[in-house]
Amino acid sequence: MEDTAITNAMPYIVIANALVVSLVLIIGGRMLVRGQLTSDAPGDRQNLGEFMLDFFVGKAREMGGRDVVLAVAPFLATCFMFILVSNLMGILPIPLLNNPPTSYFAVPLGLAICAVGGTLILSGTFNGLLGAVKHLFWPNPLQCISEVTDVLSLSLRLFGNIGGEHMTVVLVTSSVAVGIPLILHVLGLIPAFVQALVFTLLTASFIAGVIHTREEYEQAGAKVGAKGGAGSPAPETGVTSVVEGEAAPTM
Amino acid sequence: MEIVLLALVSIIPIGLGATVAALSMRRISVSAIEGMTRQPEIAPQLFTAMLIGMALIEALCIYCLVVALMLAGSVTAA
Repeated sequence: MEDTAITNAMPYIVIANALVVSLVLIIGGRMLVRGQLTSDAPGDRQNLGEFMLDFFVGKAREMGGRDVVLAVAPFLATCFMFILVSNLMGILPIPLLNNPPTSYFAVPLGLAICAVGGTLILSGTFNGLLGAVKHLFWPNPLQCISEVTDVLSLSLRLFGNIGGEHMTVVLVTSSVAVGIPLILHVLGLIPAFVQALVFTLLTASFIAGVIHTREEYEQAGAKVGAKGGAGSPAPETGVTSVVEGEAAPTM
Repeated sequence: MEIVLLALVSIIPIGLGATVAALSMRRISVSAIEGMTRQPEIAPQLFTAMLIGMALIEALCIYCLVVALMLAGSVTAA
């Protein structure tokens, strides 16, 4: 990092590493779906792939029906897998390849622009162009500024966590090369997963806020209320009684 | 003298930001763990909500880190 030659070559290294991440993901995905996919006795690879996709499909199913799931779940899964594999590149013991692309500010910024731009595109797809524009300026005309701050906060959060961790590892490795970097790498596994998850969850919440208009929320609330008239009071009272019963002995 | 002062000033934002963020994160995690122990069946939803809240607080801390890095950069430039 200190050498000016490496500093000048940094963009190329980052682009090459991002390409490596994409290649790994594409080849991994192709290997996972190769062969016969079945619903009665899925094999190991199909199990692994479904395990990874299940979370995102569940997230997207909270937002809407089949068309929403088909549009949103692959988007979220792509964000998560790309960021996760990029973050994990930092622990590879190979020079040049161990610069995580997400520790260079341009990559998180590009990812955040993709996430917020994708949110706007999904908004246009499900609400129509007028609905998307209306969502930007109604009820508060300043709402369009929040798209810019969303990009900034998403990208700065990812960059700060992964870049800060990478910077610490580089600084420590330059003074103590044995032992301590291993501990830092193990600790760095936590933000690598958590930041990928947080980026995806925040994107999911942006999308959920965009494709549900206020009227839909009210309709959903009315439906739940109508259903709850018959069925829900009993479980609700059950839950409160359980909470009270557990809380009482501790008091 | 000015450079020393600038270097000292550049650690203030990250110090204050990290302290306040740590205190608020403690509150979030304590409440989330309390909720999880009381009702283990909603633990996944609580965990997700906890992560999002922590990320929003952490963003402020990261802004402090960025400001501190910019100040530190101005120290090395001076």
